[in-house]
Amino acid sequence: MGVVTSLRAANKEREPLTAARSVISLRGVEKYFPVKEGTLQRVVGHVRAVDGVSFDVRPGETVGLVGESGCGKTTLGRCISGLTQVTGGRIYFRLSDADAARLDVIEAIAASERTRDQVRELKRIEENHRIDQLEGKAWKTYRRNCQVVFQDSFSSLNPRQLVKDIVGRPLRVWNEASGEELTERVVSLLESVGLRRQHMYRYPHQFSGGQRQRVSIARALALDPEFIVLDEPTSALDVSVQAQILNLLYDLQRERGLTYLFISHDLGVVRLMSDRIAVMYLGKVAEQGTATELFEDPRHPYTEALLAANPDIKAKESGMKGLHGHVPDPASPPEGCRFHTRCPVVTPVCGWEVDDAVAWLQDHEALAEGLAAVERRTNFDATLVFHTEEAAASAVEAFHKGDVPPVMRSALEEMSTDGRKVSIKFSPVPPVELEDIGGGRLTACILHTSRGLRI
Amino acid sequence: MIHAVDGVSFEIRDGETLGLVGETGCGKSVTARSFIRLVPTPPGVYAGGQVLFWSSDARREGRGPIDLLTIPKDEMLDIRGDRIAMIFQDPGKALNPALSIRNQIAEVFYQHRSEEILHSLGPWAPRLIRRAARQESSGFERFLLTLPPFRSRAEKLREKVDQLVGHALSEVQIANPRKIMESYPHELSGGMKQRVLIAQALACNPDLLIADEPTTALDVTIQARILELIAELQERLETSVLYISHDLSLVKEICDRVAVMYAGRIVETGTTDEVFSNPKHPYTRGLMAAVPSAAHRRGELASIVGNVPELLDPEPSCRFNTRCPYAVEICRTVDPRTIPVGESQSVACFAYESDDTDVVLPRLEAWVS
Ligand SMILES: Nc1ncnc2c1ncn2[C@@H]1O[C@H](COP(=O)(O)OP(=O)(O)O)[C@@H](O)[C@H]1O
Ligand code: SF4
Ligand code: SF4
Ligand SMILES: [Mg+2]
Repeated sequence: MGVVTSLRAANKEREPLTAARSVISLRGVEKYFPVKEGTLQRVVGHVRAVDGVSFDVRPGETVGLVGESGCGKTTLGRCISGLTQVTGGRIYFRLSDADAARLDVIEAIAASERTRDQVRELKRIEENHRIDQLEGKAWKTYRRNCQVVFQDSFSSLNPRQLVKDIVGRPLRVWNEASGEELTERVVSLLESVGLRRQHMYRYPHQFSGGQRQRVSIARALALDPEFIVLDEPTSALDVSVQAQILNLLYDLQRERGLTYLFISHDLGVVRLMSDRIAVMYLGKVAEQGTATELFEDPRHPYTEALLAANPDIKAKESGMKGLHGHVPDPASPPEGCRFHTRCPVVTPVCGWEVDDAVAWLQDHEALAEGLAAVERRTNFDATLVFHTEEAAASAVEAFHKGDVPPVMRSALEEMSTDGRKVSIKFSPVPPVELEDIGGGRLTACILHTSRGLRI
Repeated sequence: MIHAVDGVSFEIRDGETLGLVGETGCGKSVTARSFIRLVPTPPGVYAGGQVLFWSSDARREGRGPIDLLTIPKDEMLDIRGDRIAMIFQDPGKALNPALSIRNQIAEVFYQHRSEEILHSLGPWAPRLIRRAARQESSGFERFLLTLPPFRSRAEKLREKVDQLVGHALSEVQIANPRKIMESYPHELSGGMKQRVLIAQALACNPDLLIADEPTTALDVTIQARILELIAELQERLETSVLYISHDLSLVKEICDRVAVMYAGRIVETGTTDEVFSNPKHPYTRGLMAAVPSAAHRRGELASIVGNVPELLDPEPSCRFNTRCPYAVEICRTVDPRTIPVGESQSVACFAYESDDTDVVLPRLEAWVS
């Protein structure tokens, strides 16, 4: 494996794995995509793909990111690797713990009240670590050290390039090597991922899925990075091949002291590969903890639901349990707990809102046909207009004693009728934020956080 | 010529769920599609073999099973969608984007239940209505149907079909089916689309449902709901299910029996309990050990070396010999036969042949899970 490994080994001597810094540090990261409509492509709203995510990735560890499709995993990975700009929040690269503490202090102070020293200090930290403010050498260091491997090796590898050019490209672009030396570096990279010299002169389509993923990994390793975002690296592969790639990724991590962000929807894979895991739901982190804790003692109903739905080959008892309820639109997620529309243990104070009442009416044919319009004042307060007084009356009846879920009914604060109009009001609930619940664990569920204790 | 499926034989019993597992390209889908002759010929050729299908009607009327590979084409068309239905991995592709959900499902009824629908409308129906119920109307006839003498009958026909469609949708636990009926595929989520497909597949109460990776594109929490639904409907309608999947954990959860396929051949079959607690074929063992579980240490996942071989005119041999750690000479030159082992299990591997020959047989060492 030659040159590359020894380089990394040299690096490590300079800086032990226990360095008091993070590799990547996220603070309230947001990425909103505009939703456009009509011929004029007017912006009518935003998909909140990532909506306030904060966590650190420490040197040498693997942080797993798990959640269902569309929850924002890929988008977050792309923000971290600089492939897309964040629309809010900050991402820092190699932020020392000391600087992180300074940032905390400075940011707690309103911008207008910061001392000159503090402003200068903030500027220094941002210029050196905040990825969207890096320039020159600092920017280059970040780019080289932060690489990505995607799920779909078919579209991420140029079909018209030879493997030699694909894997050698970063080295050429960064003027790392050329000619004979470049070839030898490529050979050594290919060998480090279990391919051989003769594979250099082939095109991506001449490989199997597993081998193509090896090529992607070799390319990511070319500049000897510190950190790799692995976005569903084995999701397109068969289990026997997946096992080869997962083993390879772990071997490479140990040999080269790599740090990984491991994105996957597969709970078994994430558990195996990660030291710590963040569970995402609708753009937010629902729960965070070590892999073992999270799987053996989940502290968020969504994590529990994922585990209950996941078939397990080793489980003695069979039984997969799914979730009922509506999946919210990511362009207008619930204001309270985002999971409340599907949560099996939802309480009246989890954030019931007008949408829930409307969704419930729409699931009932007779009631749905009576509903003419919804005049919304806030997410929690609206007037439902029915076609007839009878329709309004039967809706009210349904809410009072019909089969509206009892938790929703107790969340309903006010309900009044005026002819065809029915006003409903739920008590407004603030967003349920991720909270430290001790032992290094974080969850965004009121059943486990301080807000829950107050109820 | 590629031998996608070669000498496959297994049976699906009444009301049971048979899991067909194997990796990409091993021939699972081709097997299922050959059943109902969905493999276009040419380029495909059905080179011999039989697919015997004994429908509930045939049994009731004392007829024997029929061979799906030799019956006339129109008879096959009658069976497909009616006695045998299929759902696919990608619900987006299986639905016609230009048709409302109502019309997608109505098509099944028009195709297979038109006589019943007409019957329910009264003893006598004009030719125009009969043709409408079979979806044979020309443009001019469709125009006639909007005119007074026929309009009320045409409306009744539509109402009857709507009723059937609504019932089919509520069977798959779709709340407010009337609303969904008016929508188009792009307006529905993946899980909802898969429900619509299941509704369509089960509309005529088939004897056999072929489910080809129906939940692979769905999230686990939705997948679990869809599987609950299939199981519940299966029990009630007494449908047999052929469940095709690459996901061993899933097959273990939902299937009564399992057939493991490798490179176009079945290498092991048996009850799910027996096969999963005591896998016999080296490929089955390798596959199971490769699934990540809590018991694994990082970097120590068992993997099967190499890749699935190409199936171009293979010589007689065990197809797994290129990846099998136990392969000996005979594995490379002779086709293994299927040998019964255990109560329900059978396996195609020379290691299970009896020892009293001169040939050197493979020996599987004790295998630790
Ligand atoms: N380029 C884009 N434009 C608009 N919306 C997007 C774009 N990329 C992702 N989204 C939306 O952002 C959300 C998160 O998507 P993604 O990050 O791909 O989730 P995941 O990787 O967890 O499946 C989804 O609702 C998706 O539709
Ligand atoms: S706050 Fe907790 S209990 Fe309430 S809906 Fe959310 S996850 Fe469920
Ligand atoms: S027949 Fe031979 S090659 Fe095939 S699985 Fe058995 S031991 Fe392995
Ligand atoms: Mg993704």
